[in-house]
Amino acid sequence: MSAAEGAQERWIGPEIHSLEDINARVSAPILAPSHTWRWWVALAVSGSLTIVMIVTVTWLFAHGIGIFGNNTTIVWGFPIANYVWWLGIGHAGTLISALLLLTRQKWRASLNRFAEAMTLFAVTLAGLMPIFHLGRPYYVYWIVPYPNVQGVWPQWRSALVWDFWAVGTYITFSILFWYAGLIPDLAMLRERARSRTARRLYGAFALGWRGSARHWEIHDRFYRYMAALAVPLVVSVHSIVSLDFAASLEPGWSDTIYPPYFVVGALYSGFAMVVVIAAVLRWACPFKPFVTVRHFEMIAKVLLMASIIMGVSYATEWFWSWYSGNRSERHLVVFLFTGPYAPLYYCQLLFNVVVPQALWSGRVRRSIPAVVIIAIIINVGMWLERILIVWATLSRDYLPSSWRIFLPTVWDWLLLFGSLGAFMFMFMIFVRLIPALPAHELRRRWLEENAA
Amino acid sequence: MSPLSGRLELNRRAALKGLAAAMAASMARCSQPTEEIIPYVNMPEGMVAGEPMRFATTLSLAGYGRGFLGISVDGRPIKMEGNPGHPFSLGATDIFAESEVLTLYDPDRSSVIRRKGAIATWDDFAAEWNRVAQTNDGRGLALVTGRTTSPTTLARIDALRTRFPALRWYRYEPVNDDASRAGGRIVFGRVVTALPRWSDADVVLVLDGDPLGHGPDELRIARGYSSRRNGKNRRQRIHVAEPVWTLTGATADFRIALKPGHVREVARLIANGLGAQLGEPRLPDYAHAFAQRVSQELQSAKRRALVLTGEGQPAEMHALCHWINSQLAAPVDYFPPQDPFENDHAYELKSLADDLHARRIKALIVVDSNPVYDAPDMLRIADGIADVPFSAHIGLYRDETAGCCKWTLPLSHALETWGDARALDGTASIVQPLIQRLYPTRTRDEYLAELANEPVTDAYDLTRNSWRKGAPAGGDFEKQWRAALHDGVIAKTAAQPTTASSSRIATLPYAAPQHELVLQLSPDTSVWDGRFANNAWLQECAKPFTRQVWGNAIQIAPADAAKLGIADEETVDVTVGGETVSAPAVIMPGQADGVVAAGWGQGRLSAGRIGTGVGARTCGLGTHPFARSLAGAVVRKSARNVPFRSLQAHTRLNGRTEDLFQIATAGELAPRHGKAAPPPNMLGIPNRGEYAWAMVVDTDACIGCNACVVACQAENNVPVVGPEEVTQGRDMHWLRVDSYARPHGYSLRRGFEPVPCMHCELAPCEPVCPVEASVHDHEGLNVQVYNRCIGTRFCEANCPYKVRRFNWFDYSGAQAYANEGPSLKAQHNPDVSARGRGVMEKCNYCLQRISRARKTAEKQEREIAEGEIVTACQAACPTRAIHFGDLNRANSDVSQLRATPQHYVLLADLNTRPRTTYLKRVYNSDETA
Repeated sequence: MSAAEGAQERWIGPEIHSLEDINARVSAPILAPSHTWRWWVALAVSGSLTIVMIVTVTWLFAHGIGIFGNNTTIVWGFPIANYVWWLGIGHAGTLISALLLLTRQKWRASLNRFAEAMTLFAVTLAGLMPIFHLGRPYYVYWIVPYPNVQGVWPQWRSALVWDFWAVGTYITFSILFWYAGLIPDLAMLRERARSRTARRLYGAFALGWRGSARHWEIHDRFYRYMAALAVPLVVSVHSIVSLDFAASLEPGWSDTIYPPYFVVGALYSGFAMVVVIAAVLRWACPFKPFVTVRHFEMIAKVLLMASIIMGVSYATEWFWSWYSGNRSERHLVVFLFTGPYAPLYYCQLLFNVVVPQALWSGRVRRSIPAVVIIAIIINVGMWLERILIVWATLSRDYLPSSWRIFLPTVWDWLLLFGSLGAFMFMFMIFVRLIPALPAHELRRRWLEENAA
Repeated sequence: MSPLSGRLELNRRAALKGLAAAMAASMARCSQPTEEIIPYVNMPEGMVAGEPMRFATTLSLAGYGRGFLGISVDGRPIKMEGNPGHPFSLGATDIFAESEVLTLYDPDRSSVIRRKGAIATWDDFAAEWNRVAQTNDGRGLALVTGRTTSPTTLARIDALRTRFPALRWYRYEPVNDDASRAGGRIVFGRVVTALPRWSDADVVLVLDGDPLGHGPDELRIARGYSSRRNGKNRRQRIHVAEPVWTLTGATADFRIALKPGHVREVARLIANGLGAQLGEPRLPDYAHAFAQRVSQELQSAKRRALVLTGEGQPAEMHALCHWINSQLAAPVDYFPPQDPFENDHAYELKSLADDLHARRIKALIVVDSNPVYDAPDMLRIADGIADVPFSAHIGLYRDETAGCCKWTLPLSHALETWGDARALDGTASIVQPLIQRLYPTRTRDEYLAELANEPVTDAYDLTRNSWRKGAPAGGDFEKQWRAALHDGVIAKTAAQPTTASSSRIATLPYAAPQHELVLQLSPDTSVWDGRFANNAWLQECAKPFTRQVWGNAIQIAPADAAKLGIADEETVDVTVGGETVSAPAVIMPGQADGVVAAGWGQGRLSAGRIGTGVGARTCGLGTHPFARSLAGAVVRKSARNVPFRSLQAHTRLNGRTEDLFQIATAGELAPRHGKAAPPPNMLGIPNRGEYAWAMVVDTDACIGCNACVVACQAENNVPVVGPEEVTQGRDMHWLRVDSYARPHGYSLRRGFEPVPCMHCELAPCEPVCPVEASVHDHEGLNVQVYNRCIGTRFCEANCPYKVRRFNWFDYSGAQAYANEGPSLKAQHNPDVSARGRGVMEKCNYCLQRISRARKTAEKQEREIAEGEIVTACQAACPTRAIHFGDLNRANSDVSQLRATPQHYVLLADLNTRPRTTYLKRVYNSDETA
């Protein structure tokens, strides 16, 4: 890479003067927090929401699934929408990390660590949601094929069993991938940590990393192979999740567009969440030189592209329900536009397709507050999309005599917001324990950029 | 310390320790009960533990007896079924009969004698009664009962009158036949019970009546109706003119919505056509054409034409219909009334009020009646009773009247005691107990016998004695008695029909033009006159047209609703003569303009934990008791908000229902050639086993009476969820009756489609279950393994018919409506497991009945015979609309019905290949006027 190219492709701010600067800033939130009050405020808010979630789940287990707004017709509700939404968010991390690594996108280095952490937390929450949704959550292990005296196995044709494997594989892989990328940074912390216990712990997890050329060589190769495995995996997970709906008989669900539609939607909401988290980290930690306006601009472009694909997906759905000639399919689209959920549906279209078009403007893309607001709007819009997929089809399927409307209860909302709190809470803990940015990759980036 | 391996060391200390411990243990154990328990060493003959036994008994509705069979398991009655031998059951049941087992175990039943609310003893009561009885000869003594046909009870009342010659007996029944009685007096000079032979009529015209609606004659008429629908006999044409939708209206080939006044003009036109000179009928044009056409049809079908009216119409109208029927030589049997009482019901209740307020009553005994609730508020019955020095209420519940009376005496339930009753035609049957009395209660006869100071006061002896007296001399009474108990009918007790023809014709006054709204009242389709209000099955049994549960509604015609600016399900206030009730409004297309309608029987103030405060009390309106029509009703939006709770949110599904509820015209039903090939399937069809169970539901015969729904609930331990859960959109019925409406000309066609599980051969619920809780069994049933279910609910999400039901809470255990008392558990069918929280459940074609039949057949080394398995819904159905059997047998009922051109499959294009299929609703012709 030439020096001229490096100057054009500058992703690290001029505040950085040495490699030690990078190490100091990256480890600052762990070793020398300068703005701890911000962290404590965030921890208090997210902690109390986490307690809300714990109370909700306790109440749920004590009283039964009936505390939610589900009814005889709309048997699925918030937990399923939350599941799909959180899992979607959980896609961006690994994808940013792996796909951008493989395509040699240089801006990746500033984002991949916390994006992957986001993946872990989001997938954890997503994985809990279907359990909360069960009528008898204490028997969830029955979908696991474990040897038992009755010789009873899961029912392999069910998309829910595929789900279990898809999500289980994804989270296992994501942990490994994340950990693999973390090893050199753990070694850095081993050297820098002040307390003996911390040094020992970081040391143990650094697996004896010494930074020798051979270590780097093996690490690089291993990491790239992992990335190559990760990309198809990411695509497969939400494809399989979409089969929860697509492998059914219901109007509006039984569509072949569902797998790609879900994958794009997942990336879309995931990238939007990365924007929000990046902005928060930039505010709370000394990461300004690493997470620059240009990073936001890049993600904004991805969001813009995804919003167009989402628009095309929606239009495709409308077209096919008309083209199918199926009365129930057609009625469902009419119902979305005119039924009691119509305001939500218009919000969904506005938030996911119309509002992001503002990103065509370079000024908007380069304004961090604007991009963050749009990202939040997209996340709301994507949640609306998930809940409407569940509600609309079940509210209006084949027999009009069973048509009903979903009326959410306070517990539905508490679980949703509680899970947001739990997500934030886990993040707060994460930034104080583990480098939120990959110091070793940033060092390499800086060296490349400043080679001249 | 094993005695084999180690040395046993037992020194003095250890021995003492052991001794002390043993003594302490022996003192701490439970004390042995002193009662003796006796195993069935000598089993009662015929009884096998756990095997259901059927006993014939009699349940009364509005005072008329109807014979049923009670199913008893190990001494607990758990289910009612029809008695094929009884002419007013014919093997079928209705919702009231089905729900009696729940009433029996209702923990809210009155169970002890109370004096002003405090528990007292019989001796306390007897002492006070003796004081009252000694001081008079019956002057000021009042007895209030409902309609009484029981020979034993009538004998008790005679005995009471012998002791107290001046006793005044008031008899009234809220759902009565006053208008029809008065009509009989006008035409025949006497009161008659007219029982139409529905099956003998080719043309039926019903003018504002509901013979197929709930009532003591429903089951007989419904069977007559279905006998003309099964393709074997020539079809019958039914025409209905009525202001408000009734079940009869829904069966009509052509139904026209007319104000009650206009309905009378139709009768006038028809009478004029038969030679009466009643003046020019004043009908709107479209109704005129209808009346003219029907008039011609009736005349050309003489001897086989029938005109019926209802209690909503005045005596003159009944008289005119009697006259028309006698001119047409209509198939109607006239019987002497079984109710010996002369006076009209409304008059009786009014006299009671007058006598109470005039303080002519010094002692009041109310037997199984509830005048405080039934009477209009204007009569101020409660105030009157409060002023009576001695008042006693004998009843199943501590109802509104009991609350006003000094003494509350608990009444035995019909399934606990002996007694008798007569049916509409005089057929007598014995009330036979299926269980020992649950509480220290007495029957009506026992109380009356005590009051009359009779020597015999035991229900069994009283009943037996009254039949021994009437038994033919020289006959073997014991044999006859046993036969009566076994058959559920006392032989040769039906009265002979009398001929009643008369040329006398009443004048029919023209109705004054009505500019105000008229409030039409009718008995509630779930809780009748209010006496069943505390029965949770009935409260959760959807009303046929509105599918409303837990309450009543004000039904209003679309034009009136638009005029008044009232939206569907909005709460309205209805004011009649200064009294107001609030209820949700339901806009009913096909209801006559200018008419608003509501049901009686809700709005109970003291029904029990289930029924109190549900719905609006409409019987308190007006001045005249039991008025079916209240003029001058004012309807306006209410400040209150009464939720409209319904099991089917969308009752009007215009343009979307052609293939869901299929109709055909009789001429269109050309026989099908060959079998329609089912759509192809990549995965193949699961092999059929030895049997292939299937159900065919005849929507043409279905009258929407809901008997199947309640029967299923009783048979399968289907829990009640309660109003809060219904508002949340939840219900547990395994079988629902969907209500359909389709515009037809200026009228509307309505029909019903019972939807149980379809038992699809390619069931969409099965592949989506992650734990294989939804599976096919070897006989083609789609069954749910409750123990395996983890509650993902994917099966219900993927069920196109939405027939699966989920236990959102512990409905069968800890939830409020299941947990009202331990006695309710006794009703549960021991062959059906109760489902826990978080588990999916659904119809399984009464699997327990199938497996019972299979066991019997296997023991006898034969196949299960056609018709050997009768599902609960099938057994209940008064029109035999539900057919069940084996598809593997080419000549079985269901196989043959599936081959008829009337057959259709619900959502056939989804290729789920349901085992439950339907027969189309058939209309005789397609005329729109």
